[in-house]
Amino acid sequence: MILARHAEALLWTGRYLERAETTSRCLNYAANSITHLRGDEARAEGELMVRTLGLQDELEAVGPLESQPQLVAFLLSDTDNPGSVVSAVVAVRENLRSVRDRIPIELWEEANGLYLRFPFLGHANAAPAGLHEVLLMVRRACLAIAGILNEGMRRDEGHAFVVVGRMLERSIFTVGLLEASHSDARGVMDATRMLRLTSSLQAYHRQHGNAPDADGVRRYLLHAPDLPRSVLSCLGRAEEGLTGLGANSAALDRARRKAALLRARLELGEVEEAMASDPVATLQDFAAQLAGLASDVHAGIVPPLAMATVQAQYVRPGHASGPGRAGGLGHAGGPGRAGGLGHAGGYEDEPGRAGGPDHAGVPGHSGKKVP
Amino acid sequence: MPETGSGLLDRYDASGWYDEAFDSDGAVRGVYRRIVERFGELDADEIKRLEKLVADEFRRQGITFTVYSEEEGTERIWPMDLFPRLIAAAEWDELARGLSQRVAALNCFLADLYNGGAAAVADGVVPRWLVMSSQGFERNARGIAVPHSAHCNVAGIDVVRDADGRYRVLEDNLRSPSGISYVVENRAAMAKACSWLFYDHAVQPTEQYGQMLRSTLESMAPGGEHDPHIVVLTPGIFNSAYFEHAFLARSMGVELVEGRDLVVDGHRVYTRTIEGLVKVDVIYRRIDDDFLDPVAFRPDSTLGVPGLLGALRAGTVTVCNALGNGVVDDKGVYPYVPELIRYYLGAEPIIDNVATYMMWDPDQRREALGRLDELVAKPVGESGGYGVLIGPHATEPELDEARATIEAEPRNWIVQELVQLSTLPSIADDRLEPRHLDLRPFILTGERTQVFPGGLTRVAMRRGSLIVNSSQGGGSKDTWVLAPETP
Repeated sequence: MILARHAEALLWTGRYLERAETTSRCLNYAANSITHLRGDEARAEGELMVRTLGLQDELEAVGPLESQPQLVAFLLSDTDNPGSVVSAVVAVRENLRSVRDRIPIELWEEANGLYLRFPFLGHANAAPAGLHEVLLMVRRACLAIAGILNEGMRRDEGHAFVVVGRMLERSIFTVGLLEASHSDARGVMDATRMLRLTSSLQAYHRQHGNAPDADGVRRYLLHAPDLPRSVLSCLGRAEEGLTGLGANSAALDRARRKAALLRARLELGEVEEAMASDPVATLQDFAAQLAGLASDVHAGIVPPLAMATVQAQYVRPGHASGPGRAGGLGHAGGPGRAGGLGHAGGYEDEPGRAGGPDHAGVPGHSGKKVP
Repeated sequence: MPETGSGLLDRYDASGWYDEAFDSDGAVRGVYRRIVERFGELDADEIKRLEKLVADEFRRQGITFTVYSEEEGTERIWPMDLFPRLIAAAEWDELARGLSQRVAALNCFLADLYNGGAAAVADGVVPRWLVMSSQGFERNARGIAVPHSAHCNVAGIDVVRDADGRYRVLEDNLRSPSGISYVVENRAAMAKACSWLFYDHAVQPTEQYGQMLRSTLESMAPGGEHDPHIVVLTPGIFNSAYFEHAFLARSMGVELVEGRDLVVDGHRVYTRTIEGLVKVDVIYRRIDDDFLDPVAFRPDSTLGVPGLLGALRAGTVTVCNALGNGVVDDKGVYPYVPELIRYYLGAEPIIDNVATYMMWDPDQRREALGRLDELVAKPVGESGGYGVLIGPHATEPELDEARATIEAEPRNWIVQELVQLSTLPSIADDRLEPRHLDLRPFILTGERTQVFPGGLTRVAMRRGSLIVNSSQGGGSKDTWVLAPETP
């Protein structure tokens, strides 16, 4: 049995942990690739990275990036940008701090240790280091935290929520990356870059040879069942985590069903077929579905005010989209969503639901958990 | 004074005070013989290395406390001095008996006030007006059933040693005394940094506190419920003692909740979990009475649980410590505690109070204010050392102002003889110097009473200073209660 507040904190821990690692990886790549580019190219490169990370709105607030140091500041240390590495590290620490009594001590110490290594957060003892060293340090610390989560934490509900959070964040990033690759007019988001940004280059080479083509890589990142960052693999693990939460947490039924539905669409090749005709819209729609899934998970754990509220969170029988309605794929969907994945059912008009919390999508949109 | 190889203790001069490690001739007291020898083997560099080891350990674990008086409430690393405090087994036994006795009498008084006939008041042991005018007296607590009449389940009684080395009670803390987590963490840090120090001593362990507290709280379940659902209630992560709250929940293996995690329905308290509402039996609360229930107390508080008082009245849940213990934390009641011991237990107090003048008594007030420059004035409703005036350290205008304040509000002040707190060697830069200290032992009462071995030793960091509170720059020491010697 887990407190709703603890469940929420651990879900966000998972999401921010993943984000800290992903942003570090992407920033490292961008900082290296940008150094030999001219001004406008470098700016376009930076904006592509920001778009890949889903931080366009946050960038708009600070204005265009004119230089590499600005890009680094925005993605690494800007505490006003909830998607920066530092914001993510702070959020991981603060969320873990609020559940300190129920997590392994080593987990807290590792997260606290990572936080303490940023001198501008008001703590001394951080060794000054170059950008590469700092990013490497963050990634290693994130991997250490993930290791403790896997090896040192009981497989209880808390563990499940961290896993669900990480997998949601990861799948949202991968879909965003694929979408950016299609939207990229300059064609720089090539196959190798996609693989590097998802730490999948080596795995791809071993399985498919060392001459990756863009479409092959997109299929790989969507479908590879054994690749930890493929969307299918992430959805499978998220679904497993949600299922492990037990039948008693009925409020999460809807999220379970949605995860299963999205997985099924990938497995059945529906997404791939839709992408053949309109890849950008398909991926945008899939991203929206993932955001909806994140929203459903969150809605399933938000503290119920009373028993009555808990009951109201059951999805009415027959109302949810069954297999017969799950389609929508490839059909001319709703307004402005041509060729999208369609609608996942009539959830949005369900009474008693407060719609998707505004931090359902990328954690960058959530000021709530960031102090 | 003692000569040691490294010179750490050379020039050690504790004359004028009772030093716990050295007698007035400068000879090492028996119990400290091995410790002093061991420290004599260290040089200043080694001490610095060990201090850094301990500080890094505390920083890594986030063992901090918050100082509110500083801007934005700064998180500080917990300060611990490496030279431990030792208490011999026989000495501890006597002290523990005295502490149990005191807490037993105070529990009798609270039970009498809130669930009995208020006999001590009726019999004039404590003036009725004094109790009724106490800010800590809570009329809402009258009639709320308390299992085993144990109103105070966790007490922290501050004791000091006077110029003759005798223990005296300085202050009673029966609301939410904090510090136990630092006791346990100090020991853990000492064991990591200075394990070699322990070799020559049989020291009673400290890690069992979670079990002791849990069994105490289990015995407080309403209706003797078997395997009750216990939670620790914290104001949240921004509270100065949050680290301790998380420590307590973790060491007991129970949930750490905030007010918003709890809900009252049908006079029962529940936690909000992802599987719905789960009934709570015992709440170990670490928030003050005023914040417990916004319906009954401060309506602007968001820390508590609306309706909690109703659930308490219905007897479906126990809140530990009980509501209304603040009346005995009122320093105005403190001078009467020895008499309460005689009244309820028919015994002489094992540990005396510090000599105290009650400012509401005109004769005592006249005498005390006449020599305020030698005494200590304390506001009755404060804790943490706030508002205390130490006569010998005060300027004439400060003394005048204090006299005027006391004359205007005599009920709100007590004045005490200045106790020259005992000292122990403590690290000051590159050597050991005497520093004043006190001790906060913890006494647990449920179905039975247990005194946790040792307690929190707080130490003043500046030479001659008597202020040991961590909020005001004090430090701490690991406290070793030695096991009885085997024959």
